[in-house]
Amino acid sequence: MAQVRLAGLGKTYEGAHANTIDGLDLEVADGEFLVLVGPSGCGKSTTLRMIAGLEEPTAGEIWIGPRRVDGLEPRERDIAMVFQNYALYPHMTVAQNMSFGLRLAKVPKAEIRRRVEAAAETLGLSGYLNRHPKALSGGQRQRVAMGRAIVREPGVFLFDEPLSNLDAQLRGQMRTEIRRLHDQLSATTVYVTHDQVEAMTLADRVVVLKDGKIEQQGSPQELYDRPATRFVAGFLGSPQMNILAGRVTQGMLDLGAESRFALGAERAAPLEGRRVDVGIRPEAFRLAAPETALIHARAEMVELLGATSLVHFTHAGLPCTALLEPTEAPRPGQEVHLGLRPDRISLFDADSGRAV
Amino acid sequence: MTALRKPLALTLVLLLILACFFAPFLWVVSNSFKPQLGIFADVTPISWRTFLPLEPVLENYRTLFERTNILRALLNTAIVSAGQVALTLVLCAMAAYALTRIRFRGAKAVFVVILLTFLLPVEAMLVPLFQVVSGLGLNNTLLGVMIPWIASPFGLFLLKQAFEELPRDLEDAARIDGAGHVRIFVSVILPNVKVPLLTLGLVTFLFSWNSFLWPLVIAQSPDIQLIQVAIAQQGSPTQLPNWGETFAGATVATLPLILLFLLLQKYFTQGMAMSGIKG
Ligand SMILES: Nc1ncnc2c1ncn2[C@@H]1O[C@H](COP(=O)(O)OP(=O)(O)O)[C@@H](O)[C@H]1O
Ligand SMILES: [Mg+2]
Repeated sequence: MAQVRLAGLGKTYEGAHANTIDGLDLEVADGEFLVLVGPSGCGKSTTLRMIAGLEEPTAGEIWIGPRRVDGLEPRERDIAMVFQNYALYPHMTVAQNMSFGLRLAKVPKAEIRRRVEAAAETLGLSGYLNRHPKALSGGQRQRVAMGRAIVREPGVFLFDEPLSNLDAQLRGQMRTEIRRLHDQLSATTVYVTHDQVEAMTLADRVVVLKDGKIEQQGSPQELYDRPATRFVAGFLGSPQMNILAGRVTQGMLDLGAESRFALGAERAAPLEGRRVDVGIRPEAFRLAAPETALIHARAEMVELLGATSLVHFTHAGLPCTALLEPTEAPRPGQEVHLGLRPDRISLFDADSGRAV
Repeated sequence: MTALRKPLALTLVLLLILACFFAPFLWVVSNSFKPQLGIFADVTPISWRTFLPLEPVLENYRTLFERTNILRALLNTAIVSAGQVALTLVLCAMAAYALTRIRFRGAKAVFVVILLTFLLPVEAMLVPLFQVVSGLGLNNTLLGVMIPWIASPFGLFLLKQAFEELPRDLEDAARIDGAGHVRIFVSVILPNVKVPLLTLGLVTFLFSWNSFLWPLVIAQSPDIQLIQVAIAQQGSPTQLPNWGETFAGATVATLPLILLFLLLQKYFTQGMAMSGIKG
């Protein structure tokens, strides 16, 4: 049983003029895979390091399981952490790297051996136990770092951007492996990344962090379908959600450049006369006949990706991308006529950026 | 043609530089095998006779070992040098750890003040040092010879650079693994700064082995005389210096250093290149 609870957690670095983390409240259920995601510098590492005990919070409480742990040493917190650049001890072999913590904790030799061998087996490192880190590839090093965490059999796993030093192919592979490992060990996991693909694919629950505050949290699909703010909408999804400027007049949403469509009375009434930002996912566009189409544009660039194609165009001065079937894709310079599904668009207040 | 000529020119320049550095040593060694008269006769004009003993004699060495207690001086120097190396390494490594790995108020100021002491010439500190060391009752002891130098600003600087280059994550990982400061220092930091440690050890050894002025001041008694002092003082003040014997002493004193360098030169040059400083 190791749920994690952060209550009013705050961190102000010495000499910094603003709070890096500001009143963070968060609960991670036992066995849950929680991904903290956000742009670089938003305080993800700081949060994780406070949970680990590498950084002291300046406000609030941290609970792991039934115990309040802020103020305790990292080793007393029942956690293990995997670092971005692996942080393997260069002078130790793979086996020594993995067993260092157990040896310090005076775990019996036979038990250490059993755990190291089991972890190596799980991670496909059995043949490498006597090698030094410098004789390993990036992916293998990352596995050793994970092995070092696994052998400690912690209640909570902490990951700080563990895949960002790997190339794209290996990243995809390790992503699958981390998720498989989690399903196997079902240990509580807090995973930090700035990569929205990792967040979407790994998480039971995603927490989007911005400027040290929680912007939104929920399942990956919830966040993707119903972003609470323009920031979340832009952050999750690739290619990014398109944001067009609109205005609601007489129940119609006017997107400029002669594009307007009925919004539905229920949705339009409270917004009557207001300016809104209109978020349209690239896949919400559909090819349409010229007379029924909502948007008429000239394809500026077309990327054929095999399974899909991306059509870039400009609408009312704003850049836009539509995701279409490759067979539907126009040639660059051609006219393209698009419709869209009204239920797949998000509206945000033009000033506050909050969903309306 | 030019491709060939360039390395040739370079080689010649290097040989010339080598000759400039090497000639004095050769001269010392060669003169240690000449009788006193021969030394002066061969000085000018400079020819190959200056650098080669045509009729080598061992007399200088015989008198050196018979008349002076050079073995005792060598042993003393070895003890002082080894002790100074050990104490310098321990002290500087611990200070470097504290200054790079433990956050405390005023760390920068402490470092700057330590570096400032580096700027004082040894001569300027001689009298106050003598007072302090005598005050400690370490006058005429081997410990007294080494103690002023073990807190070496140069050593601290060299090791601090090396410590700073180690990723901080290493230490964080060790803390998560349950290591405290002592364990991190011994089991994680030190094994990864072996080359800088070796460099500092070697530079310290050299400095200690060749030191003259301070040992001359603090260790007057013949029992604890160090090698450089012994060589300089072997003649009595009323006699003309016996140059052959002096050169024999210098040769004997240099041999251990040459051996040490040949053994460790790989690490030494690595360390110097890494720190970007010349000792
Ligand atoms: N040790 C530190 N001292 C002062 N400021 C720091 C320190 N570590 C991080 N910060 C600042 O805190 C903010 C958040 O950093 P971090 O948690 O590393 O962000 P992230 O991991 O989300 O990229 C950044 O603005 C960073 O400059
Ligand atoms: Mg970070």
